[in-house]
Amino acid sequence: MGEPLLVAEDLGKTYGTEVKTVALQGVSFTLERGEFASIVGQSGSGKSTLLNLIGLLDTPTAGSVALDGHDTRRLSGNDRARLRNELLGFVFQFHHLLPEFSVLENVVMPGLIGGGSAATLRARAVEVLGLLGLDGLEEKNANQLSGGQKQRVAIARALLNRPALVLADEPTGNLDTVNTAAVYDLFRTIHRELGTAFLIVTHDRAVAQQTDRILEVADGRLVQDVRDAYVSPATPSPVDGDEATEPLPEASPSGGEEATEPLPEASPDGGEHAADEPAVSGPGAHEEPERGGSAHV
Amino acid sequence: MLSLRIAARFLRKSPVQSGLIAAGIAFGIGVQVFLGSLIISLQESLVDETIGSSPQVTVSSAAEGEPVTYTEVLQRTLEGHPGVTTVVPTRAYSAIYRQGDESAPLQVTGGELQRLDTIYDLSGRVTAGEASLEAGEVVVGRDFAAEFGLEPGARLTLVRPDGTADDETVTAVVDFGAAAANRSLAFVAGSTAAEVLGQEPDEYTAVHLQVDDVFGSVAVADELAAEPALEGLTVSEWQAENEDLLGALQAQSSSSYTIQFFVLLAVALGIASTLAISAVQKTRQIGILKAMGMKDRGAGRIFFWQALVLGAGGAAFGVLLGVVLILVFAQVGTTIALSPQWGFTGISFVVGVAVAVLSSIIPSRRTSRLDPIEVIQGG
Ligand SMILES: Nc1ncnc2c1ncn2[C@@H]1O[C@H](COP(=O)(O)OP(=O)(O)OP(=O)(O)O)[C@@H](O)[C@H]1O
Ligand SMILES: [Mg+2]
Repeated sequence: MGEPLLVAEDLGKTYGTEVKTVALQGVSFTLERGEFASIVGQSGSGKSTLLNLIGLLDTPTAGSVALDGHDTRRLSGNDRARLRNELLGFVFQFHHLLPEFSVLENVVMPGLIGGGSAATLRARAVEVLGLLGLDGLEEKNANQLSGGQKQRVAIARALLNRPALVLADEPTGNLDTVNTAAVYDLFRTIHRELGTAFLIVTHDRAVAQQTDRILEVADGRLVQDVRDAYVSPATPSPVDGDEATEPLPEASPSGGEEATEPLPEASPDGGEHAADEPAVSGPGAHEEPERGGSAHV
Repeated sequence: MLSLRIAARFLRKSPVQSGLIAAGIAFGIGVQVFLGSLIISLQESLVDETIGSSPQVTVSSAAEGEPVTYTEVLQRTLEGHPGVTTVVPTRAYSAIYRQGDESAPLQVTGGELQRLDTIYDLSGRVTAGEASLEAGEVVVGRDFAAEFGLEPGARLTLVRPDGTADDETVTAVVDFGAAAANRSLAFVAGSTAAEVLGQEPDEYTAVHLQVDDVFGSVAVADELAAEPALEGLTVSEWQAENEDLLGALQAQSSSSYTIQFFVLLAVALGIASTLAISAVQKTRQIGILKAMGMKDRGAGRIFFWQALVLGAGGAAFGVLLGVVLILVFAQVGTTIALSPQWGFTGISFVVGVAVAVLSSIIPSRRTSRLDPIEVIQGG
């Protein structure tokens, strides 16, 4: 369907001016409309950094993000805000609800920011809340809910403007297993019914395996980009799109493993194997032989 | 408008903080209104006491000692000026009162009692007797009467400038409100004065005027001086002769302005710091709103609206407070006539709102510059 939803090209982020921290470098990938993908990686590997760059919350120090055909480098702050409002939905680890407002008001907020009419938005919000099993809580204060309920309200809020892409950073990081399962079920349902694309950051490999595509980040680089790779471990390079890449050799378990097998840890001594194996997906990344990761210069 | 709604909600959800800011503004503006009204009332009563019972503009002959011919045209011109409230042609001369060895100089003014009352309010200031100014009658000041033991009905010999003397009957003793006037002023019938001065019935020493705005006397005097009917006459007004009083009033106003300035400054600092704290407290919310697509200007306006709402509400309460204070003080029976000064009160209200809005500049800018990533990363 024409343009991809998201094109990340050679994305890099270096923090600091004196003491430099390379949080992300050479990350390139494309996300089509309606994809259901996850980003995995160890703590500090750069997952949140990547998601924040894609979500136009942060600006890259290298490379570019194109969203819905807009090269976001050229956009003013206001245009970036508008794009966030219209195209993206955010779900964070911390629900980030506004404690001063009721559940319904929280959910309606992105619509009001977008300039929608209150009546239409209320009706839609009630509908979305119903979809998330939150009927009857509309008038409650956001503070009066349980953790799971808060997160579902945050999801409802993220969905209100019918975003093309929902970005979720550890959305279940603060939830118990029951609530976690419920949230991912919801994501799936929404994905199926509304065709919303999802990009979910998680360090729970079991969760990642339930998504259609896994992007693995290690030391600031995209080291793996696979579709259904672990569902059929026998076929290490099953992928369709041209941007799809082979998994790392060590990421393909050496035969016969179950689909439920967790992703192998990104090499604990990540700096070393990279030297001999260009372990990366996407253009640009392989041009850099040195896997810096979070190199502190 | 979303900014306003968010601002209103933030205010409502922090009632104590909002109440404190509003109370700060209210007290500041209350003091402002009270102090301002007090000073203005004070000055008005001081001015009234000083020149309320004396001519504020005087028309006299350009040639000293010559009488003013009070023609119909002149009368119409003077009475027709919109700023003039009272026109009283008078005759004036000096005389000496003698009693045995003692003597005292008197400034004698002659005219019709009714007319003189419009400026000097002789009838209203009587402390003994009953004011009347028929030929041969005189009204004297309280201190003069006391000094020489004069009471209504007493005979009084006045030696005129030309040395001749005649007797008048005291009809009333009055209190002019100032010791100097009480000692030296005396009023006689217009005809008596005309005879003393040798003036024709339409000739007078001067025409005394009062104006509705005492501080506008300069303009009135200038305008009258330019009238053709006043050719050959000079017009003087009270301000030129009362620089000391004006200087004192000015000094009083300045010190009052200084106090008001510092009160407002304190209010502004209070609002600014409380709003700044509030802006810090709401950093997370602002960051979330921005992440959801709220633009920088919209986010910045939240604190502008908060300040406007608090400023308007607080200033309204302040005005109420100040006016009530003034009314209470007015009731408690002071000698000066206290009354709320509406013009000044209106200005105070506007100033209060403006100060509040100005105080929101720093938190507004902070808010508008906040990068949502700071909040999102902070967790
Ligand atoms: N504001 C910042 N200033 C400096 N360094 C930063 C900043 N934010 C992140 N980093 C660094 O960038 C790297 C990637 O951080 P990031 O938050 O993206 O990791 P992550 O994969 O999301 O980790 P986690 O799973 O713990 O959330 C880390 O080394 C981190 O220390
Ligand atoms: Mg993270």
